[in-house]
Amino acid sequence: MKYTIKTLLIILIAFGILSSGCQKMLDEELLGERSNLQFYQTAEDAELGLTGIYNALSFSFADNRIWVFGDVASDDAAKGGIAGDQADIGLIDDFNITTINGNLENVWIIYYEGISRANWLLDNIGDISMSQERKDEIIGEARFLRAYFYYWLTSIFGDIPVHLSVPTPAEMQKAATPYEIIFTDVIIPDLQDAVSKLPESAASGRATIYSAWGLLAKCHLFLQNWSQSENAAKQVIQSGHSMTNLYSDNFSLSTKDNPETVFSVQHLAGQDPWQGNRLNQWFDTRAYNGYGFNAPEQNFVDEFETTTEDVVDPRLDYTIGRSGQIWYDTIQFDSTWSPTGYLNKKYIQPLSEVPVESKADGQLNYQFMRYSEVLLIMAEALNEQGRSGEAVTYVNMVRTRARESYMYDPDLPGYPGIPDGLLPDITDTGKEGVRNAIRHERRVELGFEFHRYFDIIRYGPEYANKAFEEKPNFDYETNKFMPVPQIELDTNFEL
Amino acid sequence: MKNIYVWALILSALIFNHSAFSQSISGIITDELEMPLPGVSVYVKGSTLGTVTGFDGLYSLQVSAGDVTGDSLTLVFSYIGYSTQEYLFPVDPDARFTKNIILGEDVETLEEFVVVGYGVQRASDITGAVSTIRTNEIANLPVRRIDQALAGKAAGVQVNETTGQPGESVKVRIRGIGTINNNDPLYIIDGVPTKDVGGLLNPEDVESMTVLKDAASAAIYGSRAGNGVVIITTKKGVSKRPLISYNGYVGIQTAGNVTAMTNTNEYIDIFNEAAAADDRKPIPEDIYPQLANTDHMSSIFRPALITNHQLSFSGGSENSTYLLGGGYMNQEGIILNSGYERINFRINLTSSLAEKVTIGTNLTFAYSSQDIVGGSGDGFGGNGGSVVRYAFFRTPPLPTYNPDGSYVDLPNFEGYNRADQNTWFGDGYNPVGFANKYDWNAKIYRTFGNVFLSWDIIPGLIFRTDFGVDLSIFDEKRFNENWGTDGRINNPSSLSKGTGTDFTWNWTNSLTWQKTFNEKHNLSILVGTEAIKNNRHEQWGSDREFPDQSSYLRYLGNGLTLNKGANETEVGWSLLSAFGRINYNFDGRYLVEAVVRADGSSRFSEEHRWGVFYSGSFGWNIHNESFLSEANWLNQLKLRLSLGQTGNQEIGLYNYLSIVSPDYNYPFGGTVYNGYVISSLGNVNTTWETTTTYDIGLDLAFLDNRLTVITDYYWRYTSDMLVPVPLPPSGGDANPPFVNAGKVLNQGFEFELFWREIKNNFSYEIGGNLTFLTNEVKELGGGRPIAAGRVDNGVFSTLTQEGYPIGSFFMYEMVGIFQNELEVFSSPYQGPNIKPGDVKFKDVNGDNIIDENDRSHVGTAIPKMLYGLTFNFTFKNFDLSLFFQGAYGNSIYMQVNQDIEGFYRGFNVTKRFYDNHWTGEGSTNDYPRASWIGAANNKIASTRFLEPGGYFRVKNIALGYTVPFKETSRIQALRVYISVQNAYTFTRYPGLDPEMYDSNNLNEETVQNPDLASGIDWGTYPVPRIYTLGVNFNF
Repeated sequence: MKYTIKTLLIILIAFGILSSGCQKMLDEELLGERSNLQFYQTAEDAELGLTGIYNALSFSFADNRIWVFGDVASDDAAKGGIAGDQADIGLIDDFNITTINGNLENVWIIYYEGISRANWLLDNIGDISMSQERKDEIIGEARFLRAYFYYWLTSIFGDIPVHLSVPTPAEMQKAATPYEIIFTDVIIPDLQDAVSKLPESAASGRATIYSAWGLLAKCHLFLQNWSQSENAAKQVIQSGHSMTNLYSDNFSLSTKDNPETVFSVQHLAGQDPWQGNRLNQWFDTRAYNGYGFNAPEQNFVDEFETTTEDVVDPRLDYTIGRSGQIWYDTIQFDSTWSPTGYLNKKYIQPLSEVPVESKADGQLNYQFMRYSEVLLIMAEALNEQGRSGEAVTYVNMVRTRARESYMYDPDLPGYPGIPDGLLPDITDTGKEGVRNAIRHERRVELGFEFHRYFDIIRYGPEYANKAFEEKPNFDYETNKFMPVPQIELDTNFEL
Repeated sequence: MKNIYVWALILSALIFNHSAFSQSISGIITDELEMPLPGVSVYVKGSTLGTVTGFDGLYSLQVSAGDVTGDSLTLVFSYIGYSTQEYLFPVDPDARFTKNIILGEDVETLEEFVVVGYGVQRASDITGAVSTIRTNEIANLPVRRIDQALAGKAAGVQVNETTGQPGESVKVRIRGIGTINNNDPLYIIDGVPTKDVGGLLNPEDVESMTVLKDAASAAIYGSRAGNGVVIITTKKGVSKRPLISYNGYVGIQTAGNVTAMTNTNEYIDIFNEAAAADDRKPIPEDIYPQLANTDHMSSIFRPALITNHQLSFSGGSENSTYLLGGGYMNQEGIILNSGYERINFRINLTSSLAEKVTIGTNLTFAYSSQDIVGGSGDGFGGNGGSVVRYAFFRTPPLPTYNPDGSYVDLPNFEGYNRADQNTWFGDGYNPVGFANKYDWNAKIYRTFGNVFLSWDIIPGLIFRTDFGVDLSIFDEKRFNENWGTDGRINNPSSLSKGTGTDFTWNWTNSLTWQKTFNEKHNLSILVGTEAIKNNRHEQWGSDREFPDQSSYLRYLGNGLTLNKGANETEVGWSLLSAFGRINYNFDGRYLVEAVVRADGSSRFSEEHRWGVFYSGSFGWNIHNESFLSEANWLNQLKLRLSLGQTGNQEIGLYNYLSIVSPDYNYPFGGTVYNGYVISSLGNVNTTWETTTTYDIGLDLAFLDNRLTVITDYYWRYTSDMLVPVPLPPSGGDANPPFVNAGKVLNQGFEFELFWREIKNNFSYEIGGNLTFLTNEVKELGGGRPIAAGRVDNGVFSTLTQEGYPIGSFFMYEMVGIFQNELEVFSSPYQGPNIKPGDVKFKDVNGDNIIDENDRSHVGTAIPKMLYGLTFNFTFKNFDLSLFFQGAYGNSIYMQVNQDIEGFYRGFNVTKRFYDNHWTGEGSTNDYPRASWIGAANNKIASTRFLEPGGYFRVKNIALGYTVPFKETSRIQALRVYISVQNAYTFTRYPGLDPEMYDSNNLNEETVQNPDLASGIDWGTYPVPRIYTLGVNFNF
């Protein structure tokens, strides 16, 4: 019996070892992919996380619908396309907008996802050991991008929930922060930090210090902080940025990255996963495998100045397609392609660059901010401070480049002579007059760059009601901002 | 590593530690059927020395001088339910005797043993809710999988075939559906755990199956037992002269009920009626001479052969037993180009290593190969779409073959343009071509089994260690051939090919100790540990655009595309456990059992890894009380009460982690940079789903045990159910984490009855079981109800919502047919184009407008009642068995009827619709008018397509004859039999088969669980009727 008791003891000890010593066995490693615990460890991880944020900017996602709000909702454009196709876009054009409109959800999800990616990186980058210089730059880029996404979201939706670090599920139940506070307490602090960290120049597509100054200047316009806007714009104007000789160089493949770019969203064809610009398909005619959305309205076309000899501002034909003009390659524009008779062309590439089969794989950038806009911001900031005389010089810089298209574009009739009376310099006609001139200039200079609707709202109810005379459903207070999408209302009970 | 050292120590202790006088006696104790008897007490008469037989009926005793009085020693073998035997051994120090004993049943006190978790128990000692299925109940059933054999055999167990396709999986649900996540039970085959018994065993291989239904019986398996446990024990060799056993059958399978469809004349008739109603061009009369009249449904079916041969050799010597078996099975599918083939081997060995040590192995190897065609679904989920569905759609004027022998695709009659022909005769695929063009094969190579060592340390104390493996290698290939008019189908051709391994090992150690004190106090204690580890590793490759589609070129690398796909995944999980059980039995009257198991799982974060599961149960054998001693008519009256918790850990392997995904790239300066993002959120707080079960049961036996009854009532409450509670998108777009937030209640009543009468020439058995069940989701953690069961683009047919069963059907309710204009205008507004003859829906919310807010819960796929009935008759040498099975109270959504009774395009329609559709006021209130325009309203997902799913099926009829042989003949037994499986089905269900469940279309569903979308018939591959002729042969 003795030995059995001994062996019994051994067995009991063995049980003990098994149940305690092997606990390591329960550590199952995640394989083939990484978890949050393994990520954000190295300088490479920081770069990977940063690129992930930039990825949310892209128009390689059909759901990136900021153009629906910037252009279609405005007086510049109609839905376009076939009557029943994407009916939700038409409902926004008509200000018949319910919380289940799919466009609301599309933008909301992508842009908040961009913010979430920035928050993940910003929450974790502190502990990564890497060069402090590059770490600061990355923080600057991430904060710029977060500001960019909040700028769009609050411009579209007004009062919205704010997260400045990765929320827990409980913290995701979040009430809305007011529109002005988002500018003053979220966007502007991010941009101010970004200008202290970002480099003067970087590979095209990356945010620079001037991207941040430019967006800062723009945001101060929304807050009517004229002097701060002036100061921020001045930083960009004093940099090496300049306008291209030819306006349309900003929307051509070979010259898409140029000194005029302050911040752009980049695209590249032939990649897997997709990096191409889908707007090439969304906006081109159905005759060449496009969809024909975001069709310019007559009201927009009429905004362009003409000389007494009926020579039109050359920017019109760089912005839209119309009857009698070449669309691209040797193809004549056919006005039956669009219910309005026009299509927009800033994102359209000729078939020689993007064939019909790969229509959605465009390569043009989205020029979020060009140097010419900074000049117009400067003009506006100065004029509102009563310095109309200084303001007109900046407006005229933009007009000069426009009319000098005739000196650089051999396809224009009469090249290289500028037609008489085309886009004459404006003179100081007082604050009110210059203000109208700047508003006009912004509309034609920045047409179909998705800014128009937000300008209209920014100008106030009087301007907006006039602009939307033909849209009976428009009510300034109701439509100043879009409704928060239903998918958020269903899940965020603090709203 | 340390442990191995310890075991070596233990072994050496055993081998070298002999005492001086040592007479060893060992052997195996079996019943008259040569089945090993565990738990038999063996003791030296007049001494306290004794032991109990182990799991395999083996015993061994070490008798020392002090134990012997006189010059002989007598061993007593006693066992409740069997007549006690004594055997006289000569006293011979240092001798070794082997004595095998066959105990005869004591008919007066018939006793049964039940295999339970990590051991066996006398049936009379059981306090939990278990159902046992014996080999004779399932032998000779022509089933491919052992889990299929559970159907209708045990109360509380529901078994459904995914589809009738050979080799398809089977859905087993024990006591309802406890979770929106995994509901599959755990199987333990000879001690080795698995979630998938597919292809491993034949019914002939199985000695018994025990279904552990309540927490008391299953809690010993802790975190894996929440969905119930099925313990399968395979047949072993017994120590006697060699036995060669052959079981085989051949059979013919045919399709059962085939839905009647219109013929060409009827089709033209109804097409033109709809065309007139819609102002569309009718089928012109001058095309008639060109038209065929094809019955596409019967053209996809064939009489199919099924063959099965199983041969085994078993036997043993004095201290070892063996069973070697092998078999081959081949089942053609009743639909063209489908089939299943299997080869399997099995080895069960036991051997005495030393006097008190037994080692052994149970090892199975199985190879299976399945040729697959679309069995369910419309192809949306990437499963290719069901062949049956296309056979329904194809209109009868279209022939199957062109004159040159190729398949007809789009209608191609002379003299008419294609657009018109497509409108008239439809563009559905040619079902025969569709079936035959499938090139989809899945092979599985599986090794399953264990080695074990059992050691009787001291009398009553047994140590056992088991090492088990489950290795499954799969090899799957699918080629989508490009064919059809202008190559419209599968354009471009594509190939996907995958291989992978799934490997699980387990190491289980247990100590059991049994002791009786003062003859009345019976105590049994079990303690043990278990470690289980799994790894799954898969590789998939894909290729597209094959310039030459010849079958010998359908290999990776032969396609044209530059972007060839490659994908590799590897995942794993592990479980570490300690468990214990105490049984105490006072005088056979009062029974108490307590179980505890602690499980540590890799699936949870370190702080939440360990869970402890308890159960307690109580039994009272009232018939053993003195106040019932006079009641001779009553053989058993036992009350059982139990309560306990089990868990469900089948919830995703890394839920606690947030996952980072690559490929969120972006170009800078014309060069693409890699980008990573957090793509799904983890929840470090996730832990087990817990199932708490309360069970009250009553076991009765009357009239010399001829009638036995087992009843149970239970409440099975799942809490902490993991629910992906949707998060606000303002927090980011990563997938939401699972949260332990849901609750589900299943409750039900189970009733099993067995009647047995044995006479000289004639004996019979009648068994029946009955289950009532209700299922209700109590909480979803404040999350939104979960829509599932996609039946049309963006249309879901079920909604899992608080207060309703899981997967409850949710849709419009049809109240009739608008008979006239007045009724259209006086009813709630249904839309601008409603005409008399259209379907009228119920205005559920009473707002006078029919819209999506008028959908409501209208039924469930979970039957209210399940039942099974078995009759076995033996008369002289003849035996007859009948097996019936049924369900009641469930609904089936006949999705395919949206297409073949919805009549909205050139798809064939059912004869039922043709004969009964609305033709004018008062003609019918059930079927709408024939109109493609009207179909926009009439084919909306509604109760129009919801059919009663109840059925009563004659599942199996078998008639056998046992050929008599003389006792001296070498042939021990020869039985021949004929049987019919699925002989007839009584049902109101108009589809091919009510015994199907799977929507098989889980893409786009939030929670990819078939239980959320059960009972949706897409035109499912039906279960065949099988006629077999078989032989059982022992010599």
